[in-house]
Amino acid sequence: MTSLHELQRDLRAAVLGGDPSRAAAAVVDDDLPAEARLRIYRHHVRTTLTGVLQAAFPVVCRLVDERFFGYVADQYIRSDPPSGPCLFEYGERFPAFLAEFPPCRALPYLADVSRLEWAVHRASRAPERDPLAAAALQAVAPARAGDLVLLLDAACTLLASPWPIERIWRANRPEMGEPVTVDLGAGRALLEVRRRGDDVVIRELEPATYAFREALARGHRLADAVEAALAHDAAFDLPGALRALVQEGLVTGLGGGSGEPAAGPAVSNGRATTEQPLGAPAHVPCMRRPGE
Amino acid sequence: MLSLRDPLGPRAVGIGLRAPHVAEMIASRPAVGWLEAHTENYLGGGPAIRALEALRGWYPISLHGVGLSLGSAEGIDRGHLERVARLVERIQPAVVSEHLAWSVVGGAYLNHLLPLPYTDESLARLCENVERAQDRLARRILVENPSSYLRFRESPIPVPEFLGELARRTGCGLLCDVNNVYVTCRNLGQDPAAYLAALPPQAIGEIHLAGHARNDVDGRTILVDDHGSPVAEEVWNLFMRAVGRFGARPTLIEWDTDIPALDVLLEEARRAGQVMSRALAIEGPRDVAA
Repeated sequence: MTSLHELQRDLRAAVLGGDPSRAAAAVVDDDLPAEARLRIYRHHVRTTLTGVLQAAFPVVCRLVDERFFGYVADQYIRSDPPSGPCLFEYGERFPAFLAEFPPCRALPYLADVSRLEWAVHRASRAPERDPLAAAALQAVAPARAGDLVLLLDAACTLLASPWPIERIWRANRPEMGEPVTVDLGAGRALLEVRRRGDDVVIRELEPATYAFREALARGHRLADAVEAALAHDAAFDLPGALRALVQEGLVTGLGGGSGEPAAGPAVSNGRATTEQPLGAPAHVPCMRRPGE
Repeated sequence: MLSLRDPLGPRAVGIGLRAPHVAEMIASRPAVGWLEAHTENYLGGGPAIRALEALRGWYPISLHGVGLSLGSAEGIDRGHLERVARLVERIQPAVVSEHLAWSVVGGAYLNHLLPLPYTDESLARLCENVERAQDRLARRILVENPSSYLRFRESPIPVPEFLGELARRTGCGLLCDVNNVYVTCRNLGQDPAAYLAALPPQAIGEIHLAGHARNDVDGRTILVDDHGSPVAEEVWNLFMRAVGRFGARPTLIEWDTDIPALDVLLEEARRAGQVMSRALAIEGPRDVAA
C-alpha cells in the first residue's frame, strides 16, 4: 500500500468516528491540536450525512424524535457509509438497519414506514423510462404468452406490511401539525409507489392485483403471476389486469423468460394476504434533492 | 489556443443553482451571466434534470462536481466517471469543474472534500486522475483549491505551486475560490496575498466567492467554509486583488446552507460585477492568456 493510500484509510477511520490517533499522528499540532482539527472534518461528515438521511426519512425522524434519529443515523453511517457520491441514492439499506437495531424494537412498524419513505424518495429521482406501447403486447402470440416476462418501471415499488403504514406515514408528514392517533390494528397495507409526471403516487392495491404485479416485479413469468393472483381471487381478470398495466405506463419492456430485468422495480415483504379496500390515489409532492 | 474563460465570457458573473430557486428561475429568468449546477444532484431522473434542461436553453451552465475524488489513491471510480460523462453529453456545459481533494477510500464515499498531503506522490496520483477524467470527458476541466482546516507533517509543496504544477502537467485549468484561499490561510496561519501571488494567472479559468462561518474550536477561531452567508468584506478585498492579478474571470456566487431568497444571490452577483469592474479600472484590463 502506498503512503497516500494508508493515510486516506486512517482519515476514513477518523471522520467516521473511529480511532483518530493514526490520522492525528500525520497532522501538524500547533495552536490547535491535531485531533481537534480532525474533529472539524468528522463533524462535517456526520452532520451532512445525517441531514441526507433526515431528508429521505422525515417521517421516521418525527416518529423517533430528532435526537434519537441523530444517534441511529450515526450508527448507520459508521456501519454502512455511502458507496458513491450521488447522495440521493444513500439510505437504501437504512430500513433493514432499523429493523435490526435493538433500540427500535419498541416501534415494530418503524422499519416498514421507512421502506415506504424510501420508495417515495426513490420514485422521485428514478430515471425516466418510456412505457411499452399496447401494440407490442398485442403482437405476442397467445401460445407464448405464458412464458412472457413483463419488465415493470424501475421507479415503482410494491410494498406489503402487516401495519397500516400509509396511514402512519400520512399522519406524520413534516407538514402535518399535531400528531394524530393511528390504530395499529387498522389493517395491513399492500402499496404501490410510483412516479406520475412530477408527483409520486401511493396507491393501495387489491390482494390479487398486488400478488400479480409483485410476481411480475420479481421477474416471474406471466403464467406464474396469474397463478399468484388466482390464489387470492378465483375470478381474477387477466385481460383487464394487463390492460391496466399498459394504460398506467407501468410496463417498460418485454423479456423472454431467460433473464431477470437488469434494473427492475423494488419489492418489499409481500406476505400480506387479507382483503384490502381500494384506496384513492394520493398525490405527494416530490422530495427536495439532498445536498441542496 | 482558446482561453479557458472564453466559454462563459471573462466578465460574466453567475450564481449557483439551488433547488429552492429553480421554479422562480424558470418563471422569471432573471438577468445573470451563467448558472453552476452540482453535477451529482443531476445524475438521477425526475423534475431536477428536466429543470436543468429547461434552464440550459437560457443560461450557460457550468457543471461543478464534488464526487470524482481526484485525489483518491485508489484512482477515480470508473462507474461514476461514466455517469458524469453522460450528463456532460446531455447538458453540454460551458465548463466542467472539480476539486483538489479526495472523498473515496475502500469503497466508501465520505461526503467531504478531504485534505491531501502535497507531496510528489499525491501530485503524480492527481495527474493520473485528472488526465483520466479529461480523456473520458473529452475536455479540459477546472480544478478548485480547497478550504483547509489542517496541515500534514509530510506536505512539502505549497498548495499554489502544487496546483500550478498540476495545471502544467495535465493542461487542466484552475478554479480559484477566493473564499477558500482566505479560510485556509486564516486557519493555517498563512498569507492570502502570497497564496494568490503564487498561483499561475494564465491557468485560472474561473473564480468562486462565498460566505464562511466563524466557529470556536477549543478556544481558537476557525473559519468554516459553509457557504451560508454573504461574502465577507475581507474576501471582497481579496477578490479585488485576485482580479488585479489574474484579469477578468467568470465569477460565481455560491450559497449552500441557510439559502436566502433568489434576489439576495442576484444582488451579491451584481456586487461581484461591480468589484470586478473597479479592480480592472485600477489595474487596467489584461489578457494574460494571449
